[in-house]
Amino acid sequence: MSKTILCLCRDVTVQDVRRAVAEGYDDMETLKRFTGACTGPCQGKTCVDGIRQLLADLTGRPLDEVPAPPRRPPVTPVRLGTLAARDED
Amino acid sequence: MLGPSVIPGATSRELAPAYDAVIVGGGLQGVALAYELAKRQFGRIAVLEAAYPGAGASGRNGEMIRSAFATDEWIGLFDDSLRRWQTLSAELDFNVLFTRAGYLLLASTDAACEAGARNVVLQRRHGLHVELLGHDEVRALCPEMSPEMVAGGILQTDAGFAHHDATLWAYAQAAARRGVEIHPYTTVTGFGVAGDAVRSVASSRGEISTDVVVNASGGQAREIALLAGVDVPIETFRLEAMVTEPLAPFLRPAVSSPAIMGYCHQTTRGEFVGGTEPDVPTPSTSIKSTLDGARDMATKFVRLFPRLAGVRMMRHWSGVVTQTADVAPILGRAPEVDGFYLDCGWVYGFVGAPAAAALMAELIATGSTPPTLEPFGVERFSTGRLIRETSLVVASTDAGVT
Repeated sequence: MSKTILCLCRDVTVQDVRRAVAEGYDDMETLKRFTGACTGPCQGKTCVDGIRQLLADLTGRPLDEVPAPPRRPPVTPVRLGTLAARDED
Repeated sequence: MLGPSVIPGATSRELAPAYDAVIVGGGLQGVALAYELAKRQFGRIAVLEAAYPGAGASGRNGEMIRSAFATDEWIGLFDDSLRRWQTLSAELDFNVLFTRAGYLLLASTDAACEAGARNVVLQRRHGLHVELLGHDEVRALCPEMSPEMVAGGILQTDAGFAHHDATLWAYAQAAARRGVEIHPYTTVTGFGVAGDAVRSVASSRGEISTDVVVNASGGQAREIALLAGVDVPIETFRLEAMVTEPLAPFLRPAVSSPAIMGYCHQTTRGEFVGGTEPDVPTPSTSIKSTLDGARDMATKFVRLFPRLAGVRMMRHWSGVVTQTADVAPILGRAPEVDGFYLDCGWVYGFVGAPAAAALMAELIATGSTPPTLEPFGVERFSTGRLIRETSLVVASTDAGVT
């Protein structure tokens, strides 16, 4: 289990999540910030549901009481050069 | 069985019927103040947080740390803070990732260089470690910076940045070890005021007796104060920030640029983090990110660091700050209600928190205002003694772009 990676972008394992929850980061918002899970290039699209399920199991809460953190733009990473105004002097 | 703790040091216990102090807002100001009050053995202290600790501006800010400002008042408060930042990890027994990488206030015009030269004289008089840099020196420090943006700058060599979440967690655990109760998901709904003094706090989880209340509620500070009949002259603005995918180290110091109204640094993880502000801020309590904000940041940061054109923005978020007419925080007593204290109106709240917490705790515990804190009282808006700080990178409706 210690080698089971939940968040591929940040290399967060099942064991990392267990340890963080045991320490007290047992809210999806703070678990995300403490482990870095869901903050890599995929922004949680790959991992968030697996982490929510594990957090729900570890804390004995139903899954719908473990909401996913708000999704932030952009939907997929965008080059700053694409967003930048081109007519700027 | 106890419920979730949300962060180590927070609690899901029931509220006690009475506390010696109740702090409204579990952001960095509130939690740090709770720690400092506990250090002074102030008694039973509760921090009430409407969401999770750090949910507001404390977890959304740019994390940058400096004390090289342009007035005695700002330098006094923020240099007290900088000295605390330099030993904060040891004090709190938790690594807040303070990185002493330097803080560059970039000058892009000759006029900005001249103002910088004047400010450096004042800053040196306060004993600050500042260097006045010319074009070539800034280019050597930040080789990726666009040469056309560089006229010179002030480098504060022992300033830098830290990790905002780690700082909050560090204070929370240190406060909890000293008996502070941090109650997440607890909303304040009113205050009991009798004979011009605060007597109680009403919350979503029950009523509490207390003679001391501190309003450290960040973006909600105006509404919270009004519940006690206290009118705080602050306005709420939305700021936006972004983070890129990680890249190899290319930028060492924290950088502020008045020319693009922006501030940025590269984290130890390699991400470029920063925010920019429009020339004229729009009052807003919304924390929705905007496409205009993303384009403003992309345009300005590519102008400052052309290589960022090929780097991807990973995430973009918003937060709110409450701003006073002189953009300085409000720290001290609320004159209308005995026992009601104000620790709000922050724009530079992350850097200022360690000093503000210690000085506010001194005021609350001893009853006398530390001299460093005195200029920041709310009375200045009725006496007209505003603080004329000119080195801020903040869009302001009253003072114009400062």
